[in-house]
Amino acid sequence: MIDLADLTLVDAAEAVRTGQATSRQLLDACWANLDKANPVLNATIWLDRERAETDAKAADQAVRDKKPLGKLHGVPMAHKDMYYQAGRLSTAGSALRRDWRPGITGTAVARMAAEGAYVFGGLNMAEFAQNPTGHNKTFGDCHNPWNLPYITGGSSSGSGAAVSARMTYAALGSDTGGSIRLPAAACGVTGIKPTQSRVSRYGAMPLSFSHDNVGPLCRTARDCARIMSIIAGHDPMDPTSSGEPVPDYEAALTGDLRGLRIGVPETYFLEGADAPVLAAMDAALKVLESRGAVVTRMTLPLMDAVAAYGGIVSRVEAATIHAQWMRDDPQAYGKHISGRMYPGYAIPAPYYVESLSRRGPILKAFAAEVFAKVDILVTPTIPTCLPTLAETDIDHGPPGTEHTFMAVSVNTRPFNYLGLPAVSVNCGFDPNGCPVGLQIAGRPFAEARVLRVADAYQRDTDWHTRRPRVLS
Amino acid sequence: MDDFPTVTEAAIARWFGIAPPNDPGRRLAADLAHTIAAFETLRGTLVFEDEPSSFEAALQATKETGV
Repeated sequence: MIDLADLTLVDAAEAVRTGQATSRQLLDACWANLDKANPVLNATIWLDRERAETDAKAADQAVRDKKPLGKLHGVPMAHKDMYYQAGRLSTAGSALRRDWRPGITGTAVARMAAEGAYVFGGLNMAEFAQNPTGHNKTFGDCHNPWNLPYITGGSSSGSGAAVSARMTYAALGSDTGGSIRLPAAACGVTGIKPTQSRVSRYGAMPLSFSHDNVGPLCRTARDCARIMSIIAGHDPMDPTSSGEPVPDYEAALTGDLRGLRIGVPETYFLEGADAPVLAAMDAALKVLESRGAVVTRMTLPLMDAVAAYGGIVSRVEAATIHAQWMRDDPQAYGKHISGRMYPGYAIPAPYYVESLSRRGPILKAFAAEVFAKVDILVTPTIPTCLPTLAETDIDHGPPGTEHTFMAVSVNTRPFNYLGLPAVSVNCGFDPNGCPVGLQIAGRPFAEARVLRVADAYQRDTDWHTRRPRVLS
Repeated sequence: MDDFPTVTEAAIARWFGIAPPNDPGRRLAADLAHTIAAFETLRGTLVFEDEPSSFEAALQATKETGV
């Protein structure tokens, strides 16, 4: 008998729509895994079972009444606890917002609700979305479902762990330097950072105005495509959101990779990479080649500038947002959060302006050279085997721990400065039994293409279907 | 550069009223020397005819057109 929590998001929605399962059954299936795994994973910050049961009941009644059903009808979800829902908790993973309840609802959550999804909880996250590991001083560290002492990736730590452990069919994350792709990679799920401006950020906790992105973590690329089709597109409440038309992302998942030109950067992204990670990536490339893709090894231009400028933008913007709290209550933050923000105040304004003013020209020069030769770039999402929580614990570790910590996100940060869409899929496991992520990036607004590649890969492999050890 | 950490902390305190929150903060502030070095390396190496220009326009100019 199938465990309903093992269904993908798309299959779960279809099961409710066709009457093969009720929304209440989906909720109960997710809750069974919550009861089993969450005590050791610590993937949630709050849960609202009572309201979820009410929402499930209403969803099931709508099916019986043969009302029009949305694309996510009756699907229970939980999200990174930084999405605003009027009157409900939104802690941002911080003691400073432990009891905060916003008065507005974020656009991404509202759009999914309009398609019939409902929210049963807020998921653990790095404080104010500011680490790539999953440490959290206030609510406790989140643990990897495949091997508990190891990092989940961050900052959407609970989103990665909860999707992996079948506690939710999907979860919103946010990505300022890798915070969707890193937990997707570390927890063995699929996550997409969209093109900058592709998804409205209204009602999402801000970290870096120029680099923040809203996107989903799911079990499959098709699930990500379903959610992207719903949350992408212009939002009058977020004037920075793009008016670029939203394609049918699910329709683009044809499996056809014939003639696709894949670029594999030989520099920067592979520096310091571990052998098991490289082996997993090479095996994945062979799968893509078997579908007709052509792989080219190449050197990427401008990476020194991308790395230098990108680091300036996010640090200065985060420091600006947090200045008052840093004056009033710096000890409310974890050491690694306040410690990393602190240098942002010393960066001169001309450095920040230079970094921003050159972002457009650098993107154009990068795209002109790279995308004339290839259609997508493929890299490891995290170049090394996963470190443990202890190895990356700046708050309690020795001097130098911050370098191990920052190395986790070295391959994801460049695509935030460049604004490019990138998806991470599981492509194997390291010797410690932790997942290895494959990052697939494309041109601006190439979400359909990168999801097509990810979906094609998942048609030929079964990494994404495997259940984590915590459920065994 | 030996006085760099002291000067940096003084500048942050003067401009923002923020003190070093902990030892990692002090160490990472000292690491800004690497940021300066990275900018020094870039000086004079990048010349763009369209600088400054809109990032949003660049996204449009380089976007995917059909899959």
